[in-house]
Amino acid sequence: MSTLHTEEMTLNMGPQHPSTHGVLRFVIRADGEVMREAIPDVGYLHRSIEKIAEKVGYHGFMPYTDRVDYVCAMFTNQGWGMACEKLAKIEVPRRGEYCRVIAAEFNRIASHLLAVGTMGMDIGAFTPFVHALREREMINDLIEELCGARLTFNYMRIGGVAWDLPPGWREKALAYLDHFDPILDEFNSLISFNKIFVERLANIGVIPAEEAINYNLVGPNLRGSGVKWDIRKDLPYSVYPDFDFDVPIGQGQWGVVGDSMDRYMVRILEMKESVKILCQALTRIPSGPVLAKVVRNFKPPAGECQIRVESARGDMGWYVVSDGTGYPWRVHVRTGSFAAMGLIQKLSRGLMIADLVALIASLDVIAPEIDR
Amino acid sequence: MQQLIEYVIASGMLGKNPPYQIVAAVVVLLASAFVVLVVALPFAGIVTWVERRVWARIQSRIGPNRVGPQGFLQWLADGIKLICKEDIVPTDADPHLFKLAPYLVMLAWILPWAVMPFSSALILADLNVGILYMTAVTAVTVVGILMAGWSSNDKWSLIGGIRSAAQIISYEIPAGLSIFPVVMMTGTLSMERIIKAQGWTPQHWFLFANPFCFIAAGILFVSALAEGNRTPFDLPEAESELVAGFATEYSGMRYSLFFMAEWGNLFIIGAIIATLFLGGWQAPRVSADPVVMNILQLIVFNAKVLFLVFLSMWIRGTLPRIRIDQLVTVCWKYLVPIAFANLIGTAVWVALWPEGNSVMGYLMVALGAALVVLFMRRVIYYLRRARMELYFRPNI
Amino acid sequence: MGAAAQYFENIRDTVRTVFEGMAVTASHFVRKPYTVQYPDRMPVRVQDTLPFRYRGILEVDLEICTGCLACERACPIDCIVIACEKDSATKILTIAQFDIDIAKCMFCGLCSEPCPTGSIHHTSEFEGADFSLESLIRRFVREPVAAYKPKKGPETDPRIAPILSRGMRYVNEFAAPGSDKPAEAKTA
Repeated sequence: MSTLHTEEMTLNMGPQHPSTHGVLRFVIRADGEVMREAIPDVGYLHRSIEKIAEKVGYHGFMPYTDRVDYVCAMFTNQGWGMACEKLAKIEVPRRGEYCRVIAAEFNRIASHLLAVGTMGMDIGAFTPFVHALREREMINDLIEELCGARLTFNYMRIGGVAWDLPPGWREKALAYLDHFDPILDEFNSLISFNKIFVERLANIGVIPAEEAINYNLVGPNLRGSGVKWDIRKDLPYSVYPDFDFDVPIGQGQWGVVGDSMDRYMVRILEMKESVKILCQALTRIPSGPVLAKVVRNFKPPAGECQIRVESARGDMGWYVVSDGTGYPWRVHVRTGSFAAMGLIQKLSRGLMIADLVALIASLDVIAPEIDR
Repeated sequence: MQQLIEYVIASGMLGKNPPYQIVAAVVVLLASAFVVLVVALPFAGIVTWVERRVWARIQSRIGPNRVGPQGFLQWLADGIKLICKEDIVPTDADPHLFKLAPYLVMLAWILPWAVMPFSSALILADLNVGILYMTAVTAVTVVGILMAGWSSNDKWSLIGGIRSAAQIISYEIPAGLSIFPVVMMTGTLSMERIIKAQGWTPQHWFLFANPFCFIAAGILFVSALAEGNRTPFDLPEAESELVAGFATEYSGMRYSLFFMAEWGNLFIIGAIIATLFLGGWQAPRVSADPVVMNILQLIVFNAKVLFLVFLSMWIRGTLPRIRIDQLVTVCWKYLVPIAFANLIGTAVWVALWPEGNSVMGYLMVALGAALVVLFMRRVIYYLRRARMELYFRPNI
Repeated sequence: MGAAAQYFENIRDTVRTVFEGMAVTASHFVRKPYTVQYPDRMPVRVQDTLPFRYRGILEVDLEICTGCLACERACPIDCIVIACEKDSATKILTIAQFDIDIAKCMFCGLCSEPCPTGSIHHTSEFEGADFSLESLIRRFVREPVAAYKPKKGPETDPRIAPILSRGMRYVNEFAAPGSDKPAEAKTA
């Protein structure tokens, strides 16, 4: 009997979809359930933020950096602050650096909670999503006391941070970290080790280490493929050398090294490491000022600088060119999600449509970061 | 039903010698209409409210609680809203199939109510092939869902419809195979006689009669969940992938018909398992008055079915979704062989102990109780570790 | 026998992890829900429970505005429009217009940081939804007023003193720029 004649379907997983992380579009060429290719189409969330920097000046750009990646806004704040400080050779006081690290690590936990929660939801388990968001709400409450906002923080300034820790905040933060540890273990029992979840994610979207490096992946995506590269340890900045923490990498316990389950587990383990860093930072924070003296009309000398920050989504690069005036000549942000989008077309060959959703979730792409 | 008809004739309200056939037909029709309109359809609505509240408590939030006392009228509000929505039939869709599909799915859900054994006197039709009828009729959903998927003229709906057809047809096999152990033990397919073969205490239920029936009950529960498109098998209507699967293009009341059928199916699932394995309406003999006994049996039956409905909702809140090829693997490589093994084991059992074995009954009850105790210990372990969430806004 | 062992291990793993997951969700049935039933079933208004630094809708206390225009310069979106004139004869600074366009404001806080008296500050109000775009332009000046001149000692006017003390409290929350030399010890 001759082979059955089948046609290839072209499906559109459009910009409005319950599961793409933000406004993304995929054109899927599928043979029934199995995909031939999924071609991503980005650009729906482009807001010209890099161009806006040339209009609002150095100080005024800080709130815009929140919107580059609104889930982990502290890292973008830190990147911009560090780039301007490097241009003008300003040194941030030690207490300011500690405040930055504390805020950043809390934001890392919040961002990873959102990532693993939405991963559970895309796989079909609705409960872990709500539990993760509940924990994230508690972190948002803490940060709201610290800087006044829950999502677009605008906490850091060029030269330090804008607000010092309020009285009593340190005890509340330590109490929260105390409460968070068993909740994370409970989360793991509920979903991470669940056989159905593991079967959905193991051996899906395998990215070998070489390919990950070639395609410019960063952060938990890169570490999930077994490459031990973390900017906080390998190109240390701020006060990270003071802290004692581990960098988890994917070990392939449930499948091959570099599959979606590894990327998921790296995020869970990174949350535990962040808790460690936070406990150390909160107990050892020195006293002193938190903001260096910076003039209102900030005019760094002409030149360019490049900064790399380990954000929740990986190595975020800031490239600033200054021409000596109060407005930057060019600002560029290099984000991890943009590189991850480039890999999806190759990885999607042979996957099922349900796996595409799991793959996008495991790469933790955030649309505003891709398009800026 | 027989008793009810005789009661009506004997009470003399219809004259001296009413024609039996016509009275029987009218009484059965009125009773069926009552069951469908007052029991089945409101149940499908109310269970949505229950599901949302149970779902919400699992997720440490409160479900709907504003519309009516404790949000009880939420389902009415949703129903009225869906009725008032615009009825969209896509331009290139096949209009006749498109409009017919929801009715077929509803039909597949409504027909099993005819053999539902509510109590010893309240059963619409005591067919002597009751269980077979139920399993056969619930399979009509496949036709409805395939029609919906195809006629929507939408590739996503098509994928959802085909997935669902594959799923329901595959899982008919282990479901049917798991019904056979009970049928072998009682020798009949009739719902009433299966219930009468059990007692009201746990050791007389078929669930605890022998280990093969225990496993068969588990397989039947899993297969029934799969047939009803419930998580972890809700791939056809997976929200995160296909928006609403085969029902994407439907709006308004047609959409709600699909989902009323799905939620109402929970009762059918519960009823099948309660009848076959949990002793149905068997209740302790507290009085000789048949009316009191019937009411007690009704309460017992409904309690068992509602517990199973609650169990389905609880599982939905816990587990993620299985992919279509894993679903088919689970069915054909795991459930079907185990169901066959159960069948053979029960056949051997029935050959060795035709009258049943009460020692095994007590042993299995002890095993079940041990499982429950183990479960409660884990629950207490988690409660103790989490130490009840901290609140960061002390004023509230 | 590897395949058979794998087979039974799969079944065992599935049953065990489903059991654990159901124990976790069962434990949630008896926990208090985390929901805050805003806005009607709350003992206190939400606005009163927010922290002092909360960046809600902007408000200007014109009694203590010095007319320095620092906020107008600091705003990255140019949503603050101030008209200030110094009368050359009497040397009095008059504020004729102080408009903040809440529709444009992104609640970044960059305007309240440089204010010397804390007259422009964030309130804890966040319910600003309205029916027309024009109503979102908050005009704080009804008739032209004279700007405030901060005194060298404590403020003596009893009308202005509490407003000034609240404003200064708000402004003092911001970090004081210093150098990296260790300075006075801070609590917490």
